[in-house]
Amino acid sequence: MASLGDLERTVMDVLWAAEGPVAAAELRDALADRELALTTVHTVLSRLETKGFVEHDDARPRRFRPRATREQHAAELMHEVLGRSGDRQAVLARFVGGVDPEEARMLRQLLDGSAPDAGTR
Amino acid sequence: MLPATAAALAVLAAALAWPVPALLGRARWPRRDPLVALVCWQAIGLAGGLSIIGALLVHGLAPWGHSLPEAGAAVLTGDPARDPVRGDHWVTLTLAAVLALELLGVLALSWARTARTRRRHRELLELVVRPADAVPDARLLEHPAPVAFCIPGARPLLVLSSGMVAELDDDQLAAVVAHERAHLAEHHHLYLLPFVAWEAALPVLPAAARAHAAVRELVEMRADDRALTSLRGPDPRRTLAQAIVVAAGGPGGGVPSGALSVGGSAVGARVVRLLSPPAPLPPAARAAALLCAGLLLLVPTALLLLPAV
Repeated sequence: MASLGDLERTVMDVLWAAEGPVAAAELRDALADRELALTTVHTVLSRLETKGFVEHDDARPRRFRPRATREQHAAELMHEVLGRSGDRQAVLARFVGGVDPEEARMLRQLLDGSAPDAGTR
Repeated sequence: MLPATAAALAVLAAALAWPVPALLGRARWPRRDPLVALVCWQAIGLAGGLSIIGALLVHGLAPWGHSLPEAGAAVLTGDPARDPVRGDHWVTLTLAAVLALELLGVLALSWARTARTRRRHRELLELVVRPADAVPDARLLEHPAPVAFCIPGARPLLVLSSGMVAELDDDQLAAVVAHERAHLAEHHHLYLLPFVAWEAALPVLPAAARAHAAVRELVEMRADDRALTSLRGPDPRRTLAQAIVVAAGGPGGGVPSGALSVGGSAVGARVVRLLSPPAPLPPAARAAALLCAGLLLLVPTALLLLPAV
């Protein structure tokens, strides 16, 4: 039994691959190998809508499309990761904070200057 | 008159508000043993809050009794004050309440805000990332900047950008992953949380910012140390240092400057520390530092709870 998170990702993949808005029944058919009930598809869609990942037109209330592309979501996330928003440091532990070009150059020199001599290997 | 307990607590609070954090922040030994230094910082933070609030409380309650248990019991049982209650007693009582509420409130707020942001990040990540082939429990985020991070929590997420995977060789990537896993395994975000909150609560106190910066740096060094224990290869220290330099100097490094002064020097300190490791702290020094941290917590607690002399 796939988790909801897994289903959400799969549904988003279908929506991202689609040309235009997609109806729930089409989604069910596209994911036929998973044998989903239509209600399950609706549940997943409404969860995605609550999270702000999909939207539907008022004109065509039964057809859903992604609110942003996968790349836009990735860019948004990276913006937060790379930026300095409030207490980001507590939110996630980034491996290395950015440094300015001058210090980056200095660090590379430091690394090159300390190249291990073959004897210690 | 001022009870001796309140005076002693006030002296302790003053020491912990400035000279002690300044000394520890400038000391060289913490990078020799980040874990012990982290314990010391936690003790300073906790003892500092305890002694300042305690000093105000003991002074404010002085008319009811000269120690906290004595005065507290008198207030609770509705006994009348033995000495006249003056304005300064009310002022210190109010200050104690405000400070306690602010510190705890900001801590709770910071916790909640952090949890909300993490949830949002996790939701986003679960949609846009895919499992990384190279590292089983990590996720891959399509982005050219070399970035690695983890989102702590009940279901921690370890994320590598495709830029990071592209720029590092296998050993370096393993070092990065080991570093992030160390953060998660030792719950480093919890060490940081009070200092993030207290810097926000007490922006006028330079020690709060200093403590936050120091703890952040120590947590990274500790994660480096722990990562080294699990790394193989001819020279894991150098491998990790290379990974740090690549990640710091990559296209993602072009973060607006100004925000970088702290992070920048900390990155340099990490690299230097990896390339020419300082001697570990001798066991006696370790024990002494831990003893100091213990005493730091014990003294205000004892002052607060023991009957007045």
